[in-house]
Amino acid sequence: MDGKKFNLKNLLLSKLSRKITILFLIVGIIVPSFVFYYFYIIINNAAPETLASETEMFLINSVIVIVLILTINAGVIGFLFSRSILKSLKKLYKATKEIEKGNFDVHLEIFTRDEIQELADAFNQTVSTLAKIQEEGKEIDNAKTDFLSITSHELRNPMTPMKAQLQMLEENYFGKLSDKQKKSVMIITRNADRLDKLIADFLDISRIEAARLKFNFRKTDIAQVIKEMVQFMDGYAREKNIKLELNIEKIPVIEADPDRVSQVLGNLINNAIKFSNERCKIEISAKLKNNQILFSVKDYGCGLTPDDQIRIFEPFYQVEGTNHRRHDGTGLGLAICRGIVESQKGKIWVESKPEAGCKFYFTLPLYPVREIEPIKVLFSQKSVIEKKICEEFQTFLGPLGMGEFKELKGKNSITKDDLFRYIDFLIKNYILPQEQGLNFKNRIGKIFCDEKEVINEKLDTFCRFKADEVLIRD
Amino acid sequence: MVKTILVVDDELDIRESVKMILEKNGYKVLTAENGDECLNIIQQKKPDLILLDIMMPGTPVIKVVKKISDIKIAFMSVVRISEARKQGLTEQENIVDFFQKPFNVTDLIDRIELLISD
Repeated sequence: MDGKKFNLKNLLLSKLSRKITILFLIVGIIVPSFVFYYFYIIINNAAPETLASETEMFLINSVIVIVLILTINAGVIGFLFSRSILKSLKKLYKATKEIEKGNFDVHLEIFTRDEIQELADAFNQTVSTLAKIQEEGKEIDNAKTDFLSITSHELRNPMTPMKAQLQMLEENYFGKLSDKQKKSVMIITRNADRLDKLIADFLDISRIEAARLKFNFRKTDIAQVIKEMVQFMDGYAREKNIKLELNIEKIPVIEADPDRVSQVLGNLINNAIKFSNERCKIEISAKLKNNQILFSVKDYGCGLTPDDQIRIFEPFYQVEGTNHRRHDGTGLGLAICRGIVESQKGKIWVESKPEAGCKFYFTLPLYPVREIEPIKVLFSQKSVIEKKICEEFQTFLGPLGMGEFKELKGKNSITKDDLFRYIDFLIKNYILPQEQGLNFKNRIGKIFCDEKEVINEKLDTFCRFKADEVLIRD
Repeated sequence: MVKTILVVDDELDIRESVKMILEKNGYKVLTAENGDECLNIIQQKKPDLILLDIMMPGTPVIKVVKKISDIKIAFMSVVRISEARKQGLTEQENIVDFFQKPFNVTDLIDRIELLISD
């Protein structure tokens, strides 16, 4: 019912229909008027005073009626004509909207035997090509995940006898080893272990990407989990004379997977210890915020550049100037952390300034997710963030947004601080109304997982009008 | 009395390695390449423990396991225990342990000793 009403209203008021109908009405009124006017002049010139005034009145009335009938006819024809075009256009519009939603299962049926039909045919072809590309993309994605999972399993198989034999050598199963032999076996074992850890991490990633990561949700005292983890890591911290400071605010007992929380927290603390200098401290905190538990791990190590802050969650990403090889890790830890956190609909991010240490945050919702969604761990975090920023640019700056974004990207200044400075510039020069600018800032902040909101009093649509008014007065 | 352990794995090197470890620690070791061969062997001689791989060609392990009810079985696989549990592999009572590959030699010996001590 509703749909029909909406269509009728749209049809009567649609701009194209109105334009064509009015055009036909004008033509319908002007053309016969001129024709009759010329007839009148010709008759008057040829035989002046031949008509009686009564006959003349009758003729004029008839002419007016005829002109009116013709005009209405023209109007109706115009309306029907525009409707026939509109019908096809509407179909095309609806189909395009479906595609926008990502539904490629649309087929246009327009048989007007003209250019519109040609357009519809071309449209159908494009849609089927797009659908095919999307299908292929999905297949490639699945193949990648399967490949990762299968190869990781296959790689673990040869690791088994290798590690067993090495351990047998180490345990003197085949006689006592000389010091040199011992050293050699030790080096092989160490690297076999590293390789094995790498394979295990790859398996984890393939599980995250295929949404096959197991969560065992149960009533959990998060504070206790944190305390146990910190106690466990304290041993490693002491080796470098690092003090672990713990600050837990009141946290309710929630449904969560304690092992996964420990895995993420342990990884972050382990990283903090690795990248801290001796005799530093590391602050670990947890508190309740916006229906989530917010964890943080702060160190006073070398810190990260803005670019590193985005890319640090990418697999195998190496922070410039540090020597990852010196710190034995697989380079997959943070990528897996991100996968675990995001699989549970939490967020993970880092705030840092070079030489001032960094503070890692992650959130855990109070209620466990019903369905684990696949997370693209192997995707470049940077390109995902860039895409999101570009979208916001287009929302707030319209068609200009794309160009502006590309220019900023060209200058390599799309970190959060750069973007905020850019928006301030727009506001200061009245290019963007203030309230919209603040909204823009909030959206950009959210992309960078910023929890601070720039003051934002009203809804976007409402203030646009008000702000424009202020702008004109200035 | 010397205890007998049957090692079932499709990979020769794993069979050999486990055999070497177990024999060194005083066990008698039988080996089988797959589930079917395992079933044949236990008809002739009953071991004290079967170390069973999960992913092998031939009859699926879940069917093999159902045919064995009076011998202790310990899985030894690259598959994680959570996945094995999901496949319903760990429900039977005679399934006594799960060794994650790659295993630790000392751990393997310690746990096996515990499993088949009288």
